[in-house]
Amino acid sequence: MILLQSSSSLDKGIELDYHWVEFGDVRYHVQVTVKNPLVLLLSLSLPAPPPETVFIAGLPFGAIDAIKAAYGTFVHILDPPRDGFNLTVKMNLSKLPPDEDRRHALLVKISSIREVVLGAPLRVILKSLASRTVASDIDRYLALVHRPMESFFLIPQAEKVTVVYPMRFKDSIDIVLAKSFLQEFVEARRTAGLNSAPPCLWSSSAPKELSEAPAEALAVNAGFVSFVIYPRHVEGKKLDKTVWSLSTFHAYVSYHVKCSEGFMHTRMRRRVESQIEALDRARPDSAKPKKHLNRSFKRLSLKEARSNSRS
Amino acid sequence: MDSSAAASRPAIVIDNGTGYTKMGFAGNVEPCFILPTVVATNESFTNPSRTSNKGNWLAQHSAGVMADLDFYIGEEAMSKSRSSSTYNLSYPISRGQVENWDSMERFWQQCIFNYLRCDPEDHYFLLTESPLTAPESREYTGEIMFETFNVPGLYIAVQPVLALAAGYTTSKCEMTGVVVDVGDGATHVVPVADGYVIGSSIKSIPISGKDVTLFIQQLMRERGENVPPEDSFDVARQVKETYCYTSSDIVKVEYNKHDKEPSKYIKQWKGIKPKTGAPYSCDIGYERFLGPEIFFNPEIYSTEFTTPLPAVIDKCIQSAPIDTRRALYQNIVLSGGSTMFKDFHRRLQRDIKKIVDARVLASDARLGGEVKSQPIEVNVVSHPIQRYAVWFGGSVLASTPEFYAACHTKAEYEEYGATICRTNPVFKGMY
Repeated sequence: MILLQSSSSLDKGIELDYHWVEFGDVRYHVQVTVKNPLVLLLSLSLPAPPPETVFIAGLPFGAIDAIKAAYGTFVHILDPPRDGFNLTVKMNLSKLPPDEDRRHALLVKISSIREVVLGAPLRVILKSLASRTVASDIDRYLALVHRPMESFFLIPQAEKVTVVYPMRFKDSIDIVLAKSFLQEFVEARRTAGLNSAPPCLWSSSAPKELSEAPAEALAVNAGFVSFVIYPRHVEGKKLDKTVWSLSTFHAYVSYHVKCSEGFMHTRMRRRVESQIEALDRARPDSAKPKKHLNRSFKRLSLKEARSNSRS
Repeated sequence: MDSSAAASRPAIVIDNGTGYTKMGFAGNVEPCFILPTVVATNESFTNPSRTSNKGNWLAQHSAGVMADLDFYIGEEAMSKSRSSSTYNLSYPISRGQVENWDSMERFWQQCIFNYLRCDPEDHYFLLTESPLTAPESREYTGEIMFETFNVPGLYIAVQPVLALAAGYTTSKCEMTGVVVDVGDGATHVVPVADGYVIGSSIKSIPISGKDVTLFIQQLMRERGENVPPEDSFDVARQVKETYCYTSSDIVKVEYNKHDKEPSKYIKQWKGIKPKTGAPYSCDIGYERFLGPEIFFNPEIYSTEFTTPLPAVIDKCIQSAPIDTRRALYQNIVLSGGSTMFKDFHRRLQRDIKKIVDARVLASDARLGGEVKSQPIEVNVVSHPIQRYAVWFGGSVLASTPEFYAACHTKAEYEEYGATICRTNPVFKGMY
């Protein structure tokens, strides 16, 4: 995200050919050629969709409209997209607004193209929630892709939308940490001061609304998290923020899991240090002169000699 | 996601230097981010006294602060520590070695999640280390990478080897050469033969980029330039980065030049005092060429170390195996930010050539003209991406298909333990 921003604001008339990847296997490719330094091609590839999600022409539904609404005439969608990507847009850098603040705002907006594309269906649903016009023709639930072969679910109802995340982790330690983190998370929601936040639930079994969903989409090892979004959460400016938070929820949890792991390591290290100190103090004094004597005649063992020569 | 899926994504290359960390995705020409290797932590939480442990935790909780999340890295850390006194700066790497593993772990965490914004479980990683790193610290790195971040594969490369590999695209790939790596915290001269570091011949010099800055600072202070003391190190660093160059002969050329036409060579520096906000300006004169000069005449800076850099390089090559020496003289590669001074490589090449020619002449004289020795070619290579040559080399290597086979995988780590990280094979793509 920030990447694109820096690269597109810095590089004026410089050849640029850049690839990178973000959370959940969203891949980007930016290209500017010397021949045409004012035209920037941005390609985006989305995570592989699981079977239960709906993709139209390689994009989630409503994505094209969302892009048009978000960027206006600044970008053109190229059809077909480049090989291996789901979407390619062309931007004309000469149309960047001259004023620094607005240019920055636009660049930030472009950097979050991932959210615009992947969050498009989410946005549509939440918008209809805000205007209290829930489309009745949608199925009971809606699956949206957020990681390769993984999706989360929306259950639109008349006055609220329930968002359910099946949580999966690979590592056994991660699973334990994620579970306790999520329980804490639900606890924290109950504290005063967060009363207006969306109610949040964690359970080890899938909610009954999802009973029709395919079994492999519900195979989880860290339970289900669900948020209930009311119209007041998606009014006006809050909509963008809600969409963003919801579409990056998994990355958020995984970041916190890694952080707590790091913190635990810190404490373990400190503990080991203090215990080594205690051991050192416990060493009898008589050992000291002896050790000194030993050392002057000490020959390197084979292993030590090898590691010395290597380093 | 299995490891084959991870192999289809570009690997992440992080080069942790003493001064700056370069990170990005393999296959690109430039790193995504270059930021100072520094962490600002909120120490008030991380040193809880044993008795008030519980209370402390509660206090944090109600304050809405998580101790394990309350830290910043890079430029953010710098500005945080300046604006508030609760944050302490810590530099996890000093003189090329990781000193503080807690900070290092946090630093990586932020690099991956906040800057590169990717899931570490999806990517292979290539990290770098200095040639003098102990195998234990390599193990430790592996432990953090595999245990905390669950990376699918890890390769720890030696910095000079990567710097050599950076020449991969410009000409045919040559994996034999001497790497002169002048970073912010450490200077090493490392001979590499066919991708292997000749460990016994590594030479280190206690003069590095930081010393150049200190020297400039000292010169400016002695001349009585009007620079606020709290800002002087920073000013000196910026002077170094913008105005310094290498001269061919300081006495004959440079002093004359500066004395004759001071207006042409003496630059002006303008700044604003951080405390009062008042503007100030100062002149930059001789330090423009005297700064880099400490590599060639170290006696002007320190009394303890007086061997010039060209002589050290020569000594290093002379101590390498005899059959590699010619190739080593032919390919002397510069890397690191502090070799970016204008004409640095020309001066270095000339000085080494002088030493070598003198030796050849002497040996010819000794043999009495019976056998004529072949002239030795001395070549100092300099390329435009020198500043992050190590990162670029890593990016090139990590984009070859052989890289994924050479990595230590998570499965191997779980099978054998951290000891597998001690050695990292030289792989085919390197030469």
